[in-house]
Amino acid sequence: MTIHLSIVLWLPAFAGMLALVARRFAGWVTFVGSLAALAYAVALLVDFDASSGALQYVTDKLWIDQLGIHYKLGVDGLNIALVGLTTLSFTVCVLWATLEREHPPQFFMWLGVMHTAVLGALLAQDLLLFVLFFDLMLVPVFFLTGIWGAGDRVRAIIRLFIYTLVGSLLMLAGAIALGVLSGTGGEVSFALSDIGSVTLDKGTQEWIFLCFAAAFLVKMPAFPVHGWMPDGYRSMPLPVLAVFSGVLSKVAAYGFLRVVTPLLPDATAHFQMLLLLVGLASILYGSIMAFTTTETRLILGYSSIAQLGFILLGVFSLDDDGAQGAILQSVNHGLVVVPAFFIVGLLAARAGGSQDLRDMGGVAFRAPILAGLFLIVALATLAMPGSSNFVGEFLILFGVFDTKIVIAIVAFTGVVLASVYMLRMFIRSMHNRVNPGVTPTDIRFADGLVLVPMVAVILLLALYPQLPLEKGEQTIPRQVEAASQATGDHHEIQVIR
Amino acid sequence: MSIAWYLAVSAIIFAIGAGGVLVKRNPLVILLCLELMLNAANLALIAFNRMHAEADVHGKVPHDGQVFALIVMVVAACEVTVGLGIIVAMYRRRLPVDVDELRELHG
Amino acid sequence: MTSVKTFAWLTLLFPLAGCIVNALGYRVLRGKLPGYVGTAVLFASFVSAVLMLFSLQDLAVEERHVRAVAWDYMATTGFDGQLALLVDPLSVFMTVTITGVSALIHLYSVAYMGGDRGYTRFFSYLNFFVFSMLLLILAGNFIFLIVGWAFVGAASYLLISFWYRRETATAAGIKAFVINVLGDVGLVLGTFFIFRGSGTLDYLGTFEKAGQISSGDVTAGCILLLVGAFAKSAQIPLHTWLADAMEGPTPVSALIHAATMVTAGVYLIARMWPLFEQSSSAAAVGAIVGCATLFVSATIGLVVTDLKRIIAYSTMSQIGYMIMAVSSGAYVAGIFHFYTHAFFKALLFMAAGSVIAAMAGVQNIDQMRGFRKAMPFTFGCFVIGGLSLSGVPPFAGFFSKDEVLAYVADRGDWHVALVVVGYITAFITAVYTFRMIFRVFFGDPSPEARELEQGHLHHADVPRNPVTGEEEDTEVGFPGPEHHIAEQELPMRLAMGVLALAAIVAGWIQIPNVTEALDNFLEPTFEGSRFHEQLHPSDSLTFGGLAIGALCGIAGIAVAFLIWRRRPEIAVTLRERFRPLHTLFVNKWYADEALDRLFVRPAAWTGRFAQQTFERVVVNGLVVGGPVGLVRAGSAAVRSRQSGFLRAYAALMVLGLAGVLLWLLVRS
Repeated sequence: MTIHLSIVLWLPAFAGMLALVARRFAGWVTFVGSLAALAYAVALLVDFDASSGALQYVTDKLWIDQLGIHYKLGVDGLNIALVGLTTLSFTVCVLWATLEREHPPQFFMWLGVMHTAVLGALLAQDLLLFVLFFDLMLVPVFFLTGIWGAGDRVRAIIRLFIYTLVGSLLMLAGAIALGVLSGTGGEVSFALSDIGSVTLDKGTQEWIFLCFAAAFLVKMPAFPVHGWMPDGYRSMPLPVLAVFSGVLSKVAAYGFLRVVTPLLPDATAHFQMLLLLVGLASILYGSIMAFTTTETRLILGYSSIAQLGFILLGVFSLDDDGAQGAILQSVNHGLVVVPAFFIVGLLAARAGGSQDLRDMGGVAFRAPILAGLFLIVALATLAMPGSSNFVGEFLILFGVFDTKIVIAIVAFTGVVLASVYMLRMFIRSMHNRVNPGVTPTDIRFADGLVLVPMVAVILLLALYPQLPLEKGEQTIPRQVEAASQATGDHHEIQVIR
Repeated sequence: MSIAWYLAVSAIIFAIGAGGVLVKRNPLVILLCLELMLNAANLALIAFNRMHAEADVHGKVPHDGQVFALIVMVVAACEVTVGLGIIVAMYRRRLPVDVDELRELHG
Repeated sequence: MTSVKTFAWLTLLFPLAGCIVNALGYRVLRGKLPGYVGTAVLFASFVSAVLMLFSLQDLAVEERHVRAVAWDYMATTGFDGQLALLVDPLSVFMTVTITGVSALIHLYSVAYMGGDRGYTRFFSYLNFFVFSMLLLILAGNFIFLIVGWAFVGAASYLLISFWYRRETATAAGIKAFVINVLGDVGLVLGTFFIFRGSGTLDYLGTFEKAGQISSGDVTAGCILLLVGAFAKSAQIPLHTWLADAMEGPTPVSALIHAATMVTAGVYLIARMWPLFEQSSSAAAVGAIVGCATLFVSATIGLVVTDLKRIIAYSTMSQIGYMIMAVSSGAYVAGIFHFYTHAFFKALLFMAAGSVIAAMAGVQNIDQMRGFRKAMPFTFGCFVIGGLSLSGVPPFAGFFSKDEVLAYVADRGDWHVALVVVGYITAFITAVYTFRMIFRVFFGDPSPEARELEQGHLHHADVPRNPVTGEEEDTEVGFPGPEHHIAEQELPMRLAMGVLALAAIVAGWIQIPNVTEALDNFLEPTFEGSRFHEQLHPSDSLTFGGLAIGALCGIAGIAVAFLIWRRRPEIAVTLRERFRPLHTLFVNKWYADEALDRLFVRPAAWTGRFAQQTFERVVVNGLVVGGPVGLVRAGSAAVRSRQSGFLRAYAALMVLGLAGVLLWLLVRS
């Protein structure tokens, strides 16, 4: 079987367009499209040759000849797991939105476009194609939130838009500079493989690095450029928020490993410490904020900042294990955050619409299934050993421990704080006395359709985290190899199997 | 005949048009004045082509100026269609037909 | 080999199966069925563990380290994490003890939790706990040690907060969980240090390379492992959660917070002996902390009035003995004490649970009197447990405690000081144990006891939280309205009877100069250990120690008899005389307050500061406000030029164009 990446890439958007004419069945049409993409991604995962480190299923067409822009897609160990995560999360979230029965066809059209944009950013093997899809991700968010959001949505979305756009423009400038400056003999090509063959001088690398870092850090978001997050999280519709937090933010982390570390190794080595500190600050700040706020959405929002801080640490440990942990943790975090946001919706429905912890409590006895599923998700989120999240954190922290020991030790504070804020959320919504405004009922069958598959995947990965790990074993270490050598303290550990 | 005559006429027409746009308040008249300016440009284009075009190696004389003038006319026609449509719509809604009164789009 | 592996997996999987069946079948399983399912799987697990023991004994001595590998778990560049078990005499011995005690406690719970509305949930959690504990014990590498370590922490959290409508219970749960996560972090960091030197996560591989790890790494690693052990085993300064953990149902206290989980730290140190023998300073830290804990918690046990908390402090104290033993190289003695302690402490908790049930949930010993006639069976069990705990011959605790002290004394040097503290504490132990017994079972019967003597069980009018006294929401809480469990049910009597027997005879497997069964059995695990060869207390030391130990115990009982039976006024006089000391003990040496001041409050303060000030001023003000202000100012400037006058725009355009034309003219 030959697998064409273009199919999986454009299928969701196509389904989204169909949804516009499907009227009453808009949600189901988009769902089938996403499901087909998911099936395709599973086929990809099965067919993928993990032992080869090369790009597979490559599609390469010269798109704009004069500018050297290629339509080049490919899969390797770096993005395959994330492609799986993306298709799964979108499928589940589209199903969720469909079952809510209150969204018009345009809503699903934008979800489909967003799905394609994310897949495009992950699959793109051409720098400008990547930038294009990266920016395209934002457009559906703008409309989905601006039209169907809650609260002060316009203000929130404009803030988000300006914020991310500034980053994106810097990235565009950086990308063009990178492509043009590494063009040889007047031939410009933006294909990543072509850019990678030329090494720029250190000064140039450094300002290009800063451009990219700005875009990615804002998107993640990382401390201190997370200012758009609280308002944005408050106003996005929940299914959109789930994919936004679960998948879109991971593209930024992925971008670091795909573009920045291999193409700008000297600058990466130069700014390693700065980015590690940003990651560390994100962990501490996110954790502290998460255990003081009472808004359930923001607890998850700030915990995402902390988790992405860990991922950032993993990337900039510039260590084989750290980088693998970063990708694994991206997948894990996406897997837990989607059901967590769904649960936030369920809790709000039981607390009379309020999303504040102070209005919740005591649901567990009447809702044992919800309590059980929430417990699994909460424990996975706090990276309980035995979950795949733990393996991710273990690899990340060991990567950092191996290179910058003090940062690793401080980062462990985040592990302890994570248990505080997740358990606090679990206890205050599920346990203690029943709040007067709460109607404790268990989940419906339809809710189970959304929640159970995600929890099942969490459990599967908890039993066998080797599954995503072995896919990336050949590729991911190579992405940080050059930068690691540039730092000068590269060393190998001998392994006895 | 010297090209200067043509250009002088073109310039005079253009000036009349520009002046009209600046002083008149009725959108209909402003549109007419815009037409004058466009036609002044057309006149200049054609005059330049007629006077200065040189035959190429095959002995053919290019007609770029004329082609441009034709395109300008098409554009002008579109513009007038849309503009008149707006003016009629304004009139129907009993809005004042006066560009100084219509300043909804101020910052 | 294969049969050992098969039995190991079976032992592990039976409780997991019970957990899953009970969790998924919570609507289907009716009546006491969940309890019997939970108990049956535990007995199956116990049988399988015993069979594992026999098949291990069939192997040659040098082959008694069996690795059972299921699949690669996180085997990637640099790591060799597999889902692997290590079956050797140490893990088998622990497994058999744990499954045995667990099975009995499950049996006890079948009756004890009978009136509870979370019956199925309880057995699901309890089975999950045993699974986790066995995973911890049987794990073959650091990864699954950590996994089991964290799983027992989670199970402990779930069971402490079992009655989750009580705010005290949920608060105790989160406290226990967070301190245990702190321990997990210590364990993970310790693993990093050791892995950095050894390059493998596997136990056997690591132990082989123990000598090649740099001394800095091995010391840092061992001390961090000790942090994990201290958190789990409630040693100073990470001990405060254990007393609060008594919020859980009594069988939970018996199983998790006495017999099994809290001894995980002891197991950890015994398991890691090749590393601890590389780092004498880390071992010394363990021994000293163990000694400090055993003394401090015994003093608290003297003054606390909550029945379960007294036993909890005694647990901490006894674990202190074990930690001291294994950190001083007396591995077999430490494990021996774990084994006897599991029986008599579980027994004490069960008997206490019986009394608490008769008091309809009240745990304060000030309100209990004269239960001797009302509950003779419980009384008998409590006394057997108490004698064993006090180290009176020939009960189980006598042999194990004295073996611990004799072996530690044989280390010489400063270890002798530890032993002196150990004997003083043995005396205090006997005093507080019999303080409980005399106050609860002797004297004029309290109204509840009198009611029970007439064959009727006391019921409270409204269920109240035993700690705060506030009225309880009984939807998920114990005691339910129709409980009838004070030692009257057969499963409870059965479980307590077996444990009482064990609390008497369990120590007889290892009597100095008579038998060395345990020593010989554990030999393959500890062969090669420096101390295992060196430490052989002389006969005079051994028998002198036994005599002193017995004397301490009996003297303690006598003192308790004098104070609380003969001359109750002495207690008052003593309290007045030593007022500051009493205050110190009652306030638990201010450990909670210290942790609160040092960690909880600063964290909460930072949180508030970040939330209320930093986010507003710096993030929203400077970082967001900067760019947003810039954009806003720019747009305001441009906006003021947008007058809306069409002709003004036109004029500007004409002027601009004219300007450009002029410029061109001038330039040409």
